[in-house]
Amino acid sequence: MILKFIKGFSLLLFALLILVPSLIVVFGASKTDAEVYNAPLSLPERWNLDNYRTLFESSNVGQSFLNSVIVTLASVFFTLLLASLCSFAISRMITVTGKVLFALFTIGLAIPGQVNIVPIFILFNDLGLTNKLSGLVLINVVTTLPISVFILTAFFRELPKEMFEVSAIDGASPLRIYRSIALPLSRPALGATAIFLFVITWNELLFPLLLITDPAKRTLPLSLISFRGEYFSSYSMIFTAVMVASIPMVAMYLFMQRSFIAGLTAGAVKG
Amino acid sequence: MSARTGSAPTISGSGLAPRRKRKRDAGIYYAMGLPAALIFAIFYFGPFILNLRYSLVKWDGITDSEFVGLGNFIKLVSDDDLFYKVLGNNLRFTFLVVIFQTLLSLVFAIFLVKNTKTNIALRTLYFFPTILSSVSVGIIWLFLYDPNFGAINLFFNKVGLESFALNWVGSEGSALNAIAFTQVWFHTGQMMVIYIAGLQQIPQELYEAAEVDGASKWQQFRFVTWPMAIPTTIVVMAYTTIQSFRAFDLIFTMTQGGPNNASSIFAVLIYQTVFSELRIGYAAAQSIFFVLVLVFVTVLQRRFLNTRYEK
Amino acid sequence: MVIALLFAISASVVPISQSLAAGERLGATCTTEGVFTGTKSTSLVCTKVGNRLAWQRVKLSSGGGVPVKNLTPPPGEIEFWHYRPEPGDQRAFVKIIADFEAKYPGTKIKQVFTDTTTFNNTARVRILQNPKAALIATSRGAIFNQYVTADMFADLSNQRYVKQNLIAKGLRAGQVDGKQVGIPYQYLFNNPIVNTELWKKEGWKEPKNLSGWVAWCKDAKAKGYTPLAWPGATLGQAAQISNSALMNSAGSYDELAKNLADLNTGKIDLTSTWFKGVADIYVKLRDAGCFPENATGVNEAAAYNLFATGKSPILPIGSFAMTSIVTLNPAMSGKMQLMSMILTDGKVVAEGIMNNTFILSVNKNSTSRDQKIANAFLSYLVTGPVAQIYANESIQHVNVLDVEYTNVNLLNTSSFQAKDTMLAPRFLLLNSSVSDLTQQALIAIVGGKSPDDVLPDFSKQIKQKLS
Repeated sequence: MILKFIKGFSLLLFALLILVPSLIVVFGASKTDAEVYNAPLSLPERWNLDNYRTLFESSNVGQSFLNSVIVTLASVFFTLLLASLCSFAISRMITVTGKVLFALFTIGLAIPGQVNIVPIFILFNDLGLTNKLSGLVLINVVTTLPISVFILTAFFRELPKEMFEVSAIDGASPLRIYRSIALPLSRPALGATAIFLFVITWNELLFPLLLITDPAKRTLPLSLISFRGEYFSSYSMIFTAVMVASIPMVAMYLFMQRSFIAGLTAGAVKG
Repeated sequence: MSARTGSAPTISGSGLAPRRKRKRDAGIYYAMGLPAALIFAIFYFGPFILNLRYSLVKWDGITDSEFVGLGNFIKLVSDDDLFYKVLGNNLRFTFLVVIFQTLLSLVFAIFLVKNTKTNIALRTLYFFPTILSSVSVGIIWLFLYDPNFGAINLFFNKVGLESFALNWVGSEGSALNAIAFTQVWFHTGQMMVIYIAGLQQIPQELYEAAEVDGASKWQQFRFVTWPMAIPTTIVVMAYTTIQSFRAFDLIFTMTQGGPNNASSIFAVLIYQTVFSELRIGYAAAQSIFFVLVLVFVTVLQRRFLNTRYEK
Repeated sequence: MVIALLFAISASVVPISQSLAAGERLGATCTTEGVFTGTKSTSLVCTKVGNRLAWQRVKLSSGGGVPVKNLTPPPGEIEFWHYRPEPGDQRAFVKIIADFEAKYPGTKIKQVFTDTTTFNNTARVRILQNPKAALIATSRGAIFNQYVTADMFADLSNQRYVKQNLIAKGLRAGQVDGKQVGIPYQYLFNNPIVNTELWKKEGWKEPKNLSGWVAWCKDAKAKGYTPLAWPGATLGQAAQISNSALMNSAGSYDELAKNLADLNTGKIDLTSTWFKGVADIYVKLRDAGCFPENATGVNEAAAYNLFATGKSPILPIGSFAMTSIVTLNPAMSGKMQLMSMILTDGKVVAEGIMNNTFILSVNKNSTSRDQKIANAFLSYLVTGPVAQIYANESIQHVNVLDVEYTNVNLLNTSSFQAKDTMLAPRFLLLNSSVSDLTQQALIAIVGGKSPDDVLPDFSKQIKQKLS
C-alpha cells in the first residue's frame, strides 16, 4: 500500500518536473515579459507568434538554424561513413591491427576530447579551420568517431560470419562485401547510431564556442548563448529562441520515439 | 542490449581463398580502416601530444614561450587553491550525479519495467529531456532557480515552505548541487531506458521461483533484480561518469563556474585559464591533470563494481 | 522639453565641454542645473546666471578646431568587434553601417559582437588570431589594458578627426604614454538609476551620506521594496556599485588611485585598512537590507525586472541600462534619473561616477588596407550626425561633438555632467584577475560572509594569480 503510494507519487512528481518546465517555455514564448515574470505558470493571455517574428527579424537565427542543419548532416554522414568502414575492417581483421585500432578508439571513448581544448584551439587556428563550418564538421567527426566505431564494431562482430565467408569464396572483394552485405544488414545499427550522433551534434556547444566567432557561422546552441546575452532581460524572447532550437529535435522525437530511444540507448550501452 | 565486444574477430576467407587474395583483402581492410584511424590519430592524439608539450612552457599565445619544465605542474599542485577547489567540485559533482542518477534511473526502471500503455507513455516523457541541448536545459533551469521570479521558489513560498526557497545557483553552498540536480533531471530518462532493457532480460522464472519461496518484494530485489542488474549498472555508471565530466555546456550556460568558482569543474577552469587569463601552458597542465583524474575515477569505479560483481 | 526633475543639484561646476543646443531657447529659465541638450555649437546647457537657472551656450572644447568630415575608405571588408549586444545599439549600428556601405560601395563592415562577459573573457585571444578584426571596441580598465599590453592597437594620435571631433577631456581614457590608441566613444554615468515616480510617491529625499543610505534602505525595505536591484550573479554589473563605494573611500582621487595601483600589483592586499573600509560599506548596506533577498543569485535579467516592474526603486548599474529598462517596460521612459551615491560619512571627494568607455581602436595586426577601412569607419562614427544616431538610439551620451540629444532619457540624465564626477575608479584595477577577485570578495560579503574570512581568503587567491 505504502509502496504503491510512493511509486505513484514519485512517478507523478518526476513527470511534473519535466512537464511543468517544458510548458513554462512553450507558454513563455507566446507571452510578454511581464507575463513571464509575474505568472510563469499561467497560459499566455493570447497565443501568438509575435515573439517568433521578432526573433527571426532581429537576429540571424535563421542562418544559425541552417548552419546547424549543415554541420549536423555533414558530421553525421562523414562519421558514419568512416566509422562503418573502419568498424567493418576491424571486425574482419584477424591480426593485432584490428585490436590495436579498436583499442585506439576505446581510449578516445574513455577520455573525452574536451581535455584537448587548448591544442585544438591553437591547431585549428594555425590550419585556418576556425570560423569555418568544415572545421566544426571535422572536430565533430573526430569526437564522435570512437563511440560510433564502438557501436558498429560490436554490431559487425555479432553478425553471422558465414554470410561474409560465402561471398568471400565467391571472390567478392571486401569493399564489395561491405557495400552489398554489411551495409544493408547494419541498417538498424547505422540508424541508431545516426540518431545518437544527430542529437549530440545538434546540441554541441563547446567546440562551436571554441572555433566560431563569426555571427554568420554560429550554430544554434552558440546562437542561443549569444542571443541570451543580447536579450538577457527578456525571458519571453529567450524562451522563443529555446523553442526554435528545440523544435526540430522534439518533432523528430515525437514521430520516431522508438528509434530515438533505441539510438540514444545504444550510444550509452555500447559506450 | 549487451554488446559482445569480447567475441573473437573472424577470419577473412577462413583460409579457403587463395593466399594471394587473402593478402589483397588484408590490404583493402587496412585501407578501409585507415581514413578513420588517420583522422583520429591526427586530431585526437596529435593535440594530446601538443598538450604535453604546452604543459612544459609558460606561454600567453603572443610573446615567445618560455620553457619552465615541470613548473606549471609544481605550481598547480603546491600553490593554487583554486585548482584544489575545482578538483573537489569536479569529484563532488561526479559523485552526486553518478549516485543519484543511477539510483533514480534504477528505481524508475523497476517501476516502469512492464510494457503497459501508461508505462510506455511515462518512459517517453522521462526520456524527453535527453534530446534537448544543454544550453536550452541550462536556460530553463536558470529561470526555474531564480530566487525572486523562479517557479521553484514561487512554489515553495506558496505552499508555506519558505525555508525551502533557497538561493539555488546564487550561493556558494548550493550552486553545484543545484546544477547536479539539473544534470540528473537531464539524463535520468536515458539511463532508465538502459536499465529497463537490462531488467527485461531477467528471466521471469527467477521471480516466480522467488515468490514460491515466499520472498518479499525487497528480497526479490536484493537477490534477483540487483545481482542481475549489476552489468547494466556498470554501463550506466561508466557512462554517467563521462557525461558528468562533460557537463561543461550546462555549467557554462548556467553559472560560468560561479559564484566564486563554487560550481566550476575542470573543463570550465581550463576554458577560463586559456581565454580569460591567456595562460596556455598552465591550462595544458590543468588538462593533463584532468585526464589523470578521469582515468583514476574510472579505474576506481570499475574496480569497485567488478569486485562486487564477482562476489 | 526637459521634464521637471526631482532632485535639485547643488554642484556649481559648469559642464566641461558642453556647448548649447537646439530645442531650448537661449536665456529662458530652466529647472535643473547641468541639463544639456547636446554637443553642438548651438546646444544649450542649464546654468546658474546670478541666482536663477537659465539656458546658456557653453563653448565646447575639442582642442583642435572645427569637426572634420570622415575619411574615405578603400574597398574591402573588415570585422568590427564589440560588446554592446543591446537591441538599441544593434539598431544603431545596423543603420550606421548600412549608410556607410551605401555611401562607399565595395566597402563592407561586419559586426561581430557578444555579450560583455563573453567578450571580455574571450575576444582578445580570438582577435589575436584574426587580423580581419580591424576595428575593436574595449572597455576602459583591465580589458583595454590587456590589448595595450599585447601591443595590438595602432596609434591614432595624428588623425585630424581625433583632435577635432571629440570632447578633449573624454579622450584621456584612450591614451597610453601620450599616444592615442583608442577613442572612447561613450560618455557614461555608472551611477544608480532611480525610478522618479516611486521616489515621489514615497516622498523620499536623496540620501546624502552612508548613514542616510542605511536609513533609506531600512525604510524602503520596510515598505516592501527591494531597495537596490543589485545583480550579484552578474559580476560585471554587480561591480558597478563598487565605483560608488570606492569613490569616497580615500582622502583624494590620487590617494585612491595609488591604493588601487598597489592592490593591482600586489603591494597591498584586500586586508589593508583602506580596503577593509570599503568592505565595511558593503557590510553596512547589507545589514540595512539594501540588497535583494538571495542577492548573489540575482542575475542581470532579474535585477532589471525588479526595477522595471517597480519592485525596486533603484537599479545600481548605470545610465547605459536605460534602454533595456524601456524595452522591458515602455512606461518607464521619462521616469528615470541618475542619483549620487555618497557612501561615506566623512570627507566627500566626488559625488558621482562618469566613464569614458567603449574605446574604439584600430588593430595594428590587420593589413594596411584593412586598417585604412577601420580608420575611415571610425572617423565616420565620430562625426556628429552619425554619433547622434548612436546616442539617441542606444540612449548613451557620447564623447563626440556636434551631437544633439533628442531622447528624453538622455536629456533627463545629462544633468549629471554638472556634478563633481570621478572617472570610474574600479577600472583602475588593470589586472583582470585582481579586478575580478576583488569584486568576488565584495559579492561574497553581500552573500553573508564576514570580511574577516573573505578578505584574507581572496587576498591569497590574488597572490596566487599574481605569482
